[in-house]
Amino acid sequence: MKVGLVCPYSFDVPGGVQFHVRDLAEYLIAQGHEVSVLAPSDDDDVDLPPYFTSCGRAVPVRYNGSVARLTFGPVTSARVGRWLERGDFDLVHLHEPVTPSASIMALWQADVPVVATFHTSTPRSRAMHTFQPLLRPSLEKIRARIAVSEDARLTVRRHLRGDAYVIPNGVHVDRFAQAPRDPRFVGTSQAPTLAFLGRIDEPRKGLAILLEALPVVAARYPGVRILVAGPGDIDEVAKSVPADLRDRVELLGAVSEADKAALLRSVDLYIAPHLGGESFGIVLVEAMAAGAPVVASDLSAFVRVLGSDPAGVTFPAGDAPALAETICRLIADPGERHLLADRGQVRARTFDWSEVASQIMAVYELALDIKDFEPDVLPQAETLWGRLVRSGRSSEED
Amino acid sequence: MSDVDVLQWVTGLFLLVVAIAWYLSYSAARLDRLHSKVEGALLSLDAQLVRRAESALELAMSGELDPSSALIVADAATASLERHTESLTTEDPLDGANFAGRELVETDLTEALNAALSAEVLADVTSGESPASEAYSRLRASSMRVQMARKFHNEAVREVRRVRAKAVVRVFRLAGYASLPEAVVFDDAVSGMSDLG
Repeated sequence: MKVGLVCPYSFDVPGGVQFHVRDLAEYLIAQGHEVSVLAPSDDDDVDLPPYFTSCGRAVPVRYNGSVARLTFGPVTSARVGRWLERGDFDLVHLHEPVTPSASIMALWQADVPVVATFHTSTPRSRAMHTFQPLLRPSLEKIRARIAVSEDARLTVRRHLRGDAYVIPNGVHVDRFAQAPRDPRFVGTSQAPTLAFLGRIDEPRKGLAILLEALPVVAARYPGVRILVAGPGDIDEVAKSVPADLRDRVELLGAVSEADKAALLRSVDLYIAPHLGGESFGIVLVEAMAAGAPVVASDLSAFVRVLGSDPAGVTFPAGDAPALAETICRLIADPGERHLLADRGQVRARTFDWSEVASQIMAVYELALDIKDFEPDVLPQAETLWGRLVRSGRSSEED
Repeated sequence: MSDVDVLQWVTGLFLLVVAIAWYLSYSAARLDRLHSKVEGALLSLDAQLVRRAESALELAMSGELDPSSALIVADAATASLERHTESLTTEDPLDGANFAGRELVETDLTEALNAALSAEVLADVTSGESPASEAYSRLRASSMRVQMARKFHNEAVREVRRVRAKAVVRVFRLAGYASLPEAVVFDDAVSGMSDLG
């Protein structure tokens, strides 16, 4: 199958959507499909994969309340058109199709079946609301909508008054399950190690809650170590820890994928004290894949990831004493930790790329099925008139 | 009134007529596309339902289920397969767009499968060595596709109905004689399927 994937964000900048598109592209290529990825890129010198096509530079713009790196303008639009034409795809798969970037341009111009994936849970956008009548005919080209989580699906329902099928983000489970242990991160029964991952200066990631719980845990286990991996201002965080406990917290800064896997593989507990704003919680899956017992706040996204036979222990979000109590209980009980780790490794398999990609493939097949029954589309489709009729630049009120 | 004025009026009127004609033709084309999308989605849902019923029947015949569960599943699967051959045979598939009451039959099949596939049975049939494991994995795959196809179909229906609710479509009868498609609602959640995300 010839598949064109479009990612709205710069491919050379790390991010959840970019990783998803990259992993999906590589998985599909390994399965023998022909895949091309279109996305903006900021730096043409960086080594980009052979399946990648750039549609121009991304520019930071204020959109919907935050600054995003997006791409737009006639040059980009022409490049998107050329990519669609040259690619001669059976199907295009757009990510975040209503973000003002490459995806929306591809949606506007595509005349092959379109599958779209919605990633974020965003609050209602006023621009989207006013733009809807103009957008609607393009959106009707989408044959199948995917959301990566229940929360992303809720966004689709609110913004577009539509629905989507939920297929979660994929994780390379084996990369975590088979990562080597790192002696630096391995704890003992008296000096256990706890891992935290995420931006340390982003309050919603909840590092402050974990640090608030630390004194209670340290009183029981003086040798406890919290290993914090994630970018952010290290000095600022170090200052917030009481002086006598400062050597209990190791700030590792941003870590490589390999170090992240080794860290999760080695620690006694993985702590996810997030306060909200999580649409899926892929890091929980990574921890489960690595066999780290999970202690997570009871966000709905997390509860869903942990499953009905929970592969982790939850505590009320923001409740530091409850977190401290849960940590102490689990450190004292290796049996329960083993049970959680075993369940986690089973649970993580449902999010493995092989499972996720086969579901995405099923969606592609269904989308192509729908196309097969379509009568020949307007014969004049390639003329200017046909384009006008088709792309529907009308401004009628829906 | 001078000649120039008349010319301006005539030109203006002509442009207006062209604009209206373009808009009507555009709306009709859009609606036509949406109708064929619903049609395609319904036929693809139908195809997946047939596959689901076939794999359910195969599972029932595998000998892995106890005879009474097997009979219940086989009965529901056969009912579903029979209903299939009765509908969707007309020239215009949208005539069958109300799904011809098959919702009940398909819900019955889902319920029969859920009753038969208890946790212990599931553990048995997924063990790999079991002769039923292949039939079960086919059942799982087709059940998932039924869920997807139903969702995509209902999305397409929603879009058609949104456009057909517009005044211009109703006044100018742009939908022609095509019947109004309806969402297909039945219980398609077969147990043992992954509870993801």
